[in-house]
Formats: sequence, C-alpha cells, structure tokens
Amino acid sequence: MKIEIDLKLCEGNERCVAAAPEVFEVRDDQAHLRIENPPDSLIEKVKLAVRMCPRQAISLREK
Amino acid sequence: MEARTAANPGAKPRELSLDTIDIVSPEHYEQNGYPHAEWAYLRKHKPVFHVEHPRTDPFWAITKAADIMEISKQPRLWLNGPRLAVFVLAPGEEALPPEALPLKHLLNMDPPEHGEYRRLLSTYFTPRSVRALEPEVTRITTEVLNDLMGRTECDFVTEISARVPVAVIAEMLGVPRPDWPRMFRWTNEIIGGGDPEFQRGENPTETFAQARMEVFEYFTNMVEERRKHPTNDVTSILANAKINGAPMPTLELLSYLLVLVVAGNETTRNATTGGLLAMIENPDQFERLKADPGMIKSAVEEIARWTSPVIQFARTATQDTVVRGQKIRAGESVCLFYPSANRDEDVFDEPFKFDIGRNPNPHLAFGIGEHFCLGSNLARLELEVIFRELAKRLESAELAGPISRLRSSFVGGIKHMPIRYKLSPARN
Ligand code: HEM
Ligand code: SF4
Repeated sequence: MKIEIDLKLCEGNERCVAAAPEVFEVRDDQAHLRIENPPDSLIEKVKLAVRMCPRQAISLREK
Repeated sequence: MEARTAANPGAKPRELSLDTIDIVSPEHYEQNGYPHAEWAYLRKHKPVFHVEHPRTDPFWAITKAADIMEISKQPRLWLNGPRLAVFVLAPGEEALPPEALPLKHLLNMDPPEHGEYRRLLSTYFTPRSVRALEPEVTRITTEVLNDLMGRTECDFVTEISARVPVAVIAEMLGVPRPDWPRMFRWTNEIIGGGDPEFQRGENPTETFAQARMEVFEYFTNMVEERRKHPTNDVTSILANAKINGAPMPTLELLSYLLVLVVAGNETTRNATTGGLLAMIENPDQFERLKADPGMIKSAVEEIARWTSPVIQFARTATQDTVVRGQKIRAGESVCLFYPSANRDEDVFDEPFKFDIGRNPNPHLAFGIGEHFCLGSNLARLELEVIFRELAKRLESAELAGPISRLRSSFVGGIKHMPIRYKLSPARN
C-alpha cells in the first residue's frame, strides 16, 4: 500500500494526524508521511485518515 | 435506546411515519430541539427521502453520513450556488427572488471560482496560524468568566458562550472594541432573523435585508481605510487581495466579510452552550475532563459531534444521478443533515452516548470536501480554551430554569440557558 498526499489540496487541517498519528504529521501547515510503507496493522487507521481528510488530499495505491 | 435528555429532546418516543415526519419547520426545532428520533427513523427506513413542505421548495433529505460524504466530495456534480440551504419562509411570507439581496461568498460559490477565493485566506486558518491566537482567546475567555465572579446565577448563553466567538472574530478582522456589540446584533439577525426575539421589521427577510445592508456599510468604510493604510488583519488582506490580477469585486469582498462575521458566531456559541448542557447532563464526563485535562482535544471533537450546530446545507445536481439507489434528476436539490450523520449507527458505536474519550470520531459537524469549514481550527481552539477554563474553574453548574431554543432549521441554537453555578477565581 502506497500513500500519496497531494500538497496542492492539503490545507494542513491535521485530520489525518488525528486519525493516524503513527503515519502522518503536519509541518509548515502541510501533511507529511512519517513512514512511507505503513505495516498492515495501521491500514485501517490510514483508511480512516483518507475518509476524514476534508480536502481529499490523501490517496492510497495498491503496490 | 436513545437517552431522553434535554440535549436529545427529539428522542421522545413518538409515533413516526413518513407521511407526518417534520424535519423542516423552524417551529418544530424551537419547541422540540433537534428531531433526532425522526432522523433515526429516516436513516433506518428512508435515508434518501423526498420532502415537500408548504413553505419551501421540495428537496431530498440525506441522513446517512456516507451519502453526505459522497455528495460533498463531488463539487462539480453537486453545486452550492443554486440553493445554499433549505430556508423556510415564515407563515404568510412571500419569497423574494435571489437577485433582490445578492450575496456572493465561499459558501455559494462553486469550482473553479470557489478555490481561488478560498485560497486567499486558508493559510490564516490552519492549526498553526490559529494557535498563535491562543493567548488572546485565553485572555478573552478569562475576562468573560471573571465577569461572573461574585454571583451564583447567569444566562450562560448571553454572558459566556455568545461573547467569546464574537470577540475572537472581531479581533481577527480588526474591528475595534466599541463596535463589537453591533457585530453581535448583526449575526443574531442574519442567522436568527426567523426568530421573533431577533426580528426587526416585518419578517425574517426584512430583518436579514436590514442587517446585510448595515454590515455592508460598515465594512465599506473599513475596506477604504485599510486600502489607504494596510494593517495585518484579515480585513486588510481581503481589501488588498487580487483575484486574477484585479482587486476583488465589491460584492464578493463585502460578502466574504459578512460570512466571516456570521459563520463563526452562532455556531461556536451553540457548540459551547450545548457542550456545557451535555456536561451538566453527564456529570461523569465533566469529572473525567477535570481529572484529565489531556482529554480536551477529544472532548472538543465530541462536543462538535454531539451539538452539530449547523443543521444543514443543500446541493443541487448538475446532471441526473443516483444516491443510494434513488434516482435524482438534474436541477433537483438534496439537503445534507449533519446532526443526523453524527448519530449514524453505521459510523459510531453508541451514537447517542456523550463520550469525551470517543476515538476515532469521524464526525461531520464541520462538513467535508470542497466547502469544509474554513474556521474549524479556530472553532476548535475556542472550544478548547473555553472548556479548559471551565474544567479548571467551574466547581458546579446546574440548570436554573428552562432553556429556550432558536426558531431555525438551519443553525440550531439555544438562545438562553439559565444556570446556577460556583466559579473559582482564575489561577495563573
Ligand atoms: C462549532 C463551530 C462551527 C461549525 C459547527 C461550523 C460548521 C460549518 C459547516 C457545516 C460548513 C459547511 C461545510 C460543508 O459544506 O461541507 C462551514 C463552512 C464555513 N465555515 Fe464554519 N463552522 C463553525 C465555526 C466557524 C468559524 C469560527 C468560522 C470563522 C471564520 C467559520 C467559517 C466558515 C466559512 C467561511 C465556511 C465556508 C467555507 C467554504 O464554503 O469553503 N466557521 N462551517
Ligand atoms: S487531513 Fe488532509 S488536508 Fe488535513 S493535513 Fe491531513 S492531508 Fe492535509
């Protein structure tokens, strides 16, 4: 599973951090990945982050 | 089943049927609060429900969280412009054509224009930018609470929850202190003009028209001033902003300011009031917050979910489409009921339980997608500071009389909430 953040859409609202703090962090008002390839145990949280991101800035791709 | 509490008066057992359900009449909200029982019934039996009401145009009521998310995330299929929300006329009132009182702002713009206007201010409302206001918000909150010292009863709405948000947005806009009471009146009239308490003139529309004109006049002067002498407040940024290389047109500029004045006031006020009411009705949750101040962030999310101050916005289909199997034609509108999404059994465990530790809490109180609340981080900060201070200083609180509700099916509100309380002095 590969996570992508579209920084043109991201407004730094930190909803992704609320959903999956292990994976996302916000620096300088933009979201960044803390880990590129999250373990399976975090997939549900990442999916929640995708749903909660108000700007639809996060996408998931099967590798 | 659902707890029958003052925050959930709609949870009274009532015979419900699709023929008689009313989720539209402002009077119903005024008398009974949010129709949670009706929404629960619709989520179960008719999640996409066609509503006809004598005082508004027909629409489809959307009550499931997943459907609201799907619709909100397709801003080119579903427009905001044609119908912003389901507004209901007062009995006997005539509808005015929209050109009569033009407004053009973030909420009724659509892509691609919407993004250009939103970008002008989005960096001023990120968590980081807003965090810089914390000392100011704390100062305002402390001042408001200090005014209650030496007494044991107050109207929590007019004396506390209404005062903080108006002060904060006034500060951001650079409105001088002596003018704050006017801003306060305008928000009441623009959002609550359907309520007799806030009505000026013959009917809600006249009240709105009058307040709109006064806001426009006020900011016309301020904008002129800020063009001559720019400062770093938000009014100055908008007054000197460029859209496609040219200054922002006047209607757009004044409407932007008007929305900033009204959007964050009634809403944050009602989250605060409803939040305290929930704490009074669930004293164990207030004790939990007092014992563990680290819970403040999740408590604020739960207050937003629980109170859902914005009842609805609408969208209009640009082409024939389908929602949850229901065909919807181009030109028809849907109404997104946020409080219903926030009690959706498919999303939340025990949705009718007020739980300040709820995690995850993917509520939709601030909407989602293209129009996601621009001020959500500001609202969160205000609620954090207010409830942090209340948890520190409010030793006890109970209702000291009946609460009264706003006559509105657009923004839910408690107008007055008398409480009896014991407050301790500020500690530094
Ligand atoms: C608890 C308090 C608040 C609640 C519940 C709330 C709720 C909402 C909702 C539901 C929307 C529409 C979202 C959508 O269509 O998906 C919205 C939009 C908006 N809100 Fe808030 N709001 C609150 C506080 C504030 C504050 C403090 C401001 C201050 C500036 C603000 C400014 C705005 C603006 C400008 C929009 C329009 C955004 C757009 O169309 O792009 N709100 N809000
Ligand atoms: S939730 Fe979305 S918009 Fe907000 S910081 Fe994360 S990626 Fe950016």
